[in-house]
Formats: sequence, C-alpha cells, structure tokens
Amino acid sequence: MTWSRDVLAGKIPVTLVTGFLGSGKTTLISKLLLHPDMRRVAVVINEIGEIGIDHDLVTMSSENITLLANGCICCSVRTDLQETLRDLFAQRRVGEVFDFDRVIVETTGLADPAPVVQTLTSDTLLAAHYRLDGLITLVDGLHGVGQIDQQTEAVKQIAIADKILVTKTDLTSVDHLETLCGRIRQLNAQSPIEFIRQGEVDPKRLIDLGLSSSRASLKTLQFLGESLTDGAASADGAGRYLGQRSAAHNAAVKTLSLRFTEPFEWLSFSSALELLTNLRGPDLLRIKGIVNVDGYPVVVQGVQHIIETPVKMDRWPSDDKDSRLVFIVRNMELDVIRNLFQAVGAIKSSFNSST
Amino acid sequence: MLQAPQSASRADQTLSLNMKLLAHHELQGFGGLGEGMGMQLTSDGRRILWLAHESAPKNFSGVDVTDPQNPKLIVQTELPHMKLRSNSLDVVGNIMVVAYQATTVGVKPAGIDIFDVSQPEKPHLLSHFDCSGPYSRGVHAVWFVDGRYVHMSSGAADFQPRNPLDDQFYRIIDIINPEKPVEVGRWWYPGTREGDEAPPPPRLPTQFDTGFRTHNTNVFPEQPNRAFVGYIDGGAVVLDISDMKNIKVVSQWNHSPPFNGFTHTVLPLFDRGLWIVSDECVQDNGADWPKLVWVVDSRNEANPVPIGTFPAPPYDAFAKRGGRFGAHNLHENLPGPTSFRSDTIIVGSFFNAGVRVYDTSNPYQVQEIAYFVPGAPKLSPAGAIQLNDVYVDDRRIVYTVDRFTGGLYILEMNI
Repeated sequence: MTWSRDVLAGKIPVTLVTGFLGSGKTTLISKLLLHPDMRRVAVVINEIGEIGIDHDLVTMSSENITLLANGCICCSVRTDLQETLRDLFAQRRVGEVFDFDRVIVETTGLADPAPVVQTLTSDTLLAAHYRLDGLITLVDGLHGVGQIDQQTEAVKQIAIADKILVTKTDLTSVDHLETLCGRIRQLNAQSPIEFIRQGEVDPKRLIDLGLSSSRASLKTLQFLGESLTDGAASADGAGRYLGQRSAAHNAAVKTLSLRFTEPFEWLSFSSALELLTNLRGPDLLRIKGIVNVDGYPVVVQGVQHIIETPVKMDRWPSDDKDSRLVFIVRNMELDVIRNLFQAVGAIKSSFNSST
Repeated sequence: MLQAPQSASRADQTLSLNMKLLAHHELQGFGGLGEGMGMQLTSDGRRILWLAHESAPKNFSGVDVTDPQNPKLIVQTELPHMKLRSNSLDVVGNIMVVAYQATTVGVKPAGIDIFDVSQPEKPHLLSHFDCSGPYSRGVHAVWFVDGRYVHMSSGAADFQPRNPLDDQFYRIIDIINPEKPVEVGRWWYPGTREGDEAPPPPRLPTQFDTGFRTHNTNVFPEQPNRAFVGYIDGGAVVLDISDMKNIKVVSQWNHSPPFNGFTHTVLPLFDRGLWIVSDECVQDNGADWPKLVWVVDSRNEANPVPIGTFPAPPYDAFAKRGGRFGAHNLHENLPGPTSFRSDTIIVGSFFNAGVRVYDTSNPYQVQEIAYFVPGAPKLSPAGAIQLNDVYVDDRRIVYTVDRFTGGLYILEMNI
C-alpha cells in the first residue's frame, strides 16, 4: 500500500494575467473569452461591463456569472477575489456552474499580483482546491520602455512573470521591440517572451506554466527552466544571464542562480528561506528551484514573502541531484544569499558534530 | 438569442473532478448491473472484468478490459428464469463464484454457482450449492478472495427467521473441491432466528426497517481470523472466525438509531487501525438521507469509535436528481493481483452522485479528491445515473456500473 497521491494533480490551476494600465488586458480577455478552446475555463474579471460580450453568445447569465456559447464561464469579481474563487468552487461542486478545469484571473492594472498569490496559498479552502499555475504579464509594445523606466510596479510585474506577452506589436517597429525585449531580459532573464497583436492568443499558450504534478517527468525539468539544468547556475551564481545583462537600467533587479552540492536538512533550508523572506520579502521578487533535502527532491517556489507549500517529488527528474535555486531579487547581492544558506547549513552541521 | 438559464445540476449533465471517462459500454442493452465486479487475469494475459447483473434476464457478463479504452464484451449469460438475480460475484484465478437470490422465498434455484472460467468465453459450471428453502431467498452477496472459502450473505433451508426481513445471515462455504462445496461455519444476529434464546433485536422505525441480515462479509489475508460484516440494520459486526464451528463476536458498532440503518460494507485499513464503513441508500429522492461513509477507529476491537464521516456529496444538487442518492459500495482492497490497494485512497459509488474518490490520510478530515457523475443514461427509469458498484484495478483504472441501463463506465483518476 505504498502508492501515494499526487498532491498537485487534483488542484485546479489558476493563471494570473497582469500588466500595466493600457497594456491590453481587456482586449486580450475579450478575445480569449470567445476562443473555441476556452471550454471548461473560468475567467475571473473585474468588471463584466468592460468586456462587452455579445448577447448572442451568452447561454446563461446570473448575478455575476455568464456562461458563454463556447463553454467558457465568465465571472466578475463581486466583493473580492478570495470570495469569488471560493464561490466558484462551491458552485462547481454543487453543479451550479459547469465543471471548469482551470481558472484565469485578470488582475487590475495597478495591482500587485503578490497578494493574489498570498490569497491562494493562505486561504485553506483555496489552497486545498487551487494551485497557482503561472503569472502572465502583458507589456505594452508601444509604451513599455517608458513604463519600465518610470514605474516600479511595471518593473515588478515583468520581473515576477512566468511568461511575458508583448502587445500592440503591430503598432511599433522591430527596432523598438528589440530594445524593449532587451529591457525585459534585464528584469527577467528566463521567462519566455511572446509577441501578440489585437489580443489574439491561443489559450494553450497561457497554461501549463507551473508545476502540475509531484511525479517527476520531463515537464518538471521544463518547469524548473533551462537555467537550472544547463550549468549556467554555476557555483559563482553569475550565470550567463546576469553577466551579460546587468546593464545600466534597473541594475537593481537581478537574477541569481545558486547551486549547492551538499544536501540540506529541511530545518536549515527552511530557516534560511524564512530569514530571507522575513528580512527582505519585498525585494525577493521570485524564487524557484529544486532542493536536495536529505536526498529527496523538494520543489520550492515563492513570490516575494509568500512561499508556496513545498512539494516533495516522487523522484529526481534527472541525474542532477544538486540543489538548484533561482532568485529574482531587487537591491540584493548574490553572496549575501549564498552565504546565508551556507551559514545555516554550517551551523547545523557544527551543532551535530559537537553533540 | 438568450436561452433559458440552465443549471448544471440537471441529471443529464455530466460532472467531473479529476476523473476522465475512457470508455462507456452499454452491454448490448443490458446495462443494469448489480454489485458483483471481479477481474480475472487470464493465462494469455488478458484482463476480464466479470460483472453480475442487477436483475433478470441476464446473469453475468465478461468484458475484456485489457485495453481500458476499448472494452469488448466477450460473454453474456442468461438466468434460468425471471424471478432470480445474480447481483454478486467474485473471481480467484480461473474460479468464479456467482450468487443467486430469488425475488421470493421458496424459489429454486437459489444459492451459488461455481464456474471454471479458464476459457472466459465459455464459462463452465462446476457445481451449484443450494441455499433455497421455505424461508430463504438464497444468496445476496459473496466474498471469495482466497481460492478456498466463500463467505456469503445467505438464507438456508433450515433457517427460519423470526422476521422475514432477517432471512440472510453469514455462512462460510469451503470450496477446496469446487465440485463439492460444503458449509463449514455460520453466524447470525442473536435473536433473529426462530427458537433463539436471545430476544429479537429492537427494529428501526417502519420506514427504515430493512432487516437484520448480512450484506458484505469480508475476510482479508492480513487477518484471516476476522470477518468484517455489514449487518444492515444490525450495524458493523466483526467476528472471530478462527474456529469456524464456533464463531464469536469481537466488535459491534451501530449508528442506528438515530441514523437510518443499512450498514453495507466494513472495510478495514489494517495498518491504520481504522474501518471505513459504508451505508447503502435504498430509497429514492433522498427519503432515507443521510447515507454516509464513516471512519471508525478500531484500535480497540472491543470499543470501535466513530471519528468522522466522508464529506457527503451536496444534498441540494443530488437529492431530487432522480433515483437513490447516497453511499453504497466501496472498492474493497481485494487481495488479488489485479486490484488497487490503498490504505488512504478510498473509492466509492454513490448512486446519482456518481463515483467519488477520497483521501483519508487525515482520518479526522477526509478530503474528496475526485468524482465523476455521468449524465443520465438513456432510458433509465430513475432519470439519473445510479452508480451501484465500483472496482479499481492495479493500473488505477476505475470501473463503475449503473443499476438500471447505463452499463459500464471506465475512468481514469488524476490523483
């Protein structure tokens, strides 16, 4: 009776779509709602009136839920997102709404996505039934460079994204897009960038960004990202990303890759992580990685001070059993982080040897 | 045009969470199935799922589920007459035991058949063990997992119950020679047989009085000296069967009254000191609600303590959906090579609330982790699905059957 459950498989994935004001979220969402592949997807938006859905395409409508002809459920936020996601799950379970398989949430333009992530991890009902699949950030192809220069929120939204969609690419030049992509890469070295126009995007491109199973597979490696496996996360941490891209602008945001050969004890590792989030939470934009805890692989992810529940994998996804972590941080030095993790390990081991 | 609002809780709506339908087989129009499901691994490597029908005219069907996405009906047999139902079966190796229960007492044949199914297309009858009698309807359920003993809920020619509802009791039949089955043990609830010293047990209120008789009589290799018996209105009874001629009660637990009776299955989780106990819903439209699955702490056999119930499917969505709504069969961690076994994941059938999967890792806070509620099968008199039984194989493929017309549904769990 050793078979055990995949702790992630049963959870409904949630994709957050964020982006600075005017970056094209409403256009994207209104196109997405009508896409034929949106069956069994619930889309949570701020204001249904903004979207302007053709009545011919509405098959059912209630106070805040509209069912569309393609099987997509469009749900406007009533009081807050927490309540809305709870309601949606409850209604799904009693059969009041069709069984949706995933949720896409549109965040408001100025909103910091971190509180949404916190809601998903701290609300026990939501944490039991949903998981964060990914953060998608829309960047205005026309005004993105200016926003990165002037708006710290825009910088953060890009830095924490799992995928970046550059919009309005039909309104700008190739040169400008190149400059913009260069600026994006300084803030976020790893996440894929895609160009879209008029909000046209295949819903499949917005999903399966996160860890969907605690059973290791090729997908686990994809989720962990190239930088964790191609050796770029070298012992000095200054992988090719950082070295090449610490340009003048926004040098404060950095991607740091760390690799540890010695396995951690969970207590040491979590103490270090806790210390880091307690002291520098706002500057830890994103953490992602796989940690060797007494030989077992544990996937760790976090957005700012919120660390999601670590996931113990059933086995290592490849032969590489080193702990590999990527931090996207603001105003922090690589050595500080590395030394911290080494120090807790050292304290623990010296304690062990003296007792 | 704006259409009328539609509620997804309509009976024609399929509901699912973490389960995917791989295949559906209507069994050639005889899709009313009972609570006998067993899987045979043939010598040529095929997996045959044996299914007992709920009612006449069909007896049992064999479905090749080697490829679960492409099930093939390979045999379907007939009952000798319409006053009989097979309802229950079990298979070990190439030996299959099938139960026969008549609609009224005194009807023949009623008892068990033992088949050689080494050629699954041509089941070969080895013997019939007669359980008919002036007060007997025959056999309702069999448990046969060790290749030797059939533990069953049965009447007998020499057994006269005080109340006709109490006609079936626990009997053990030794089929070491499958051509000559012999009874080697029996136990009945004290006071239910005419002539018993014990007084008759107090009955439940008339509308819930379904009888003090056995339903499932399970014995596992982990503890071969214990029989875990769902005694319907008599609750959960665990018996010491180390001396089959002298069976003794070791545990008794009954939630009724105040609950509405019908204890169906007692499934022990040996390593955890727990029993998972299921009720059976036997009335339509939620009339006997709540019918639940219970978690009982059994560490002290003499004092079983209920510590919780499984989160029940929502009453509002299902009670009036059509037919019965509530617990029934559980996948029972059968010892054979083809059965899924878990001491945390429990799969059950809940009539119109479909098949449901639970994680009992925290026995005080069981979680529902998956479900599949098929839309109403065509021509179903209940107007809704009525999933009657469930079997999970070692590939974690879930097989579940409808009580009336829907036949077999084959599902994959994403858990």
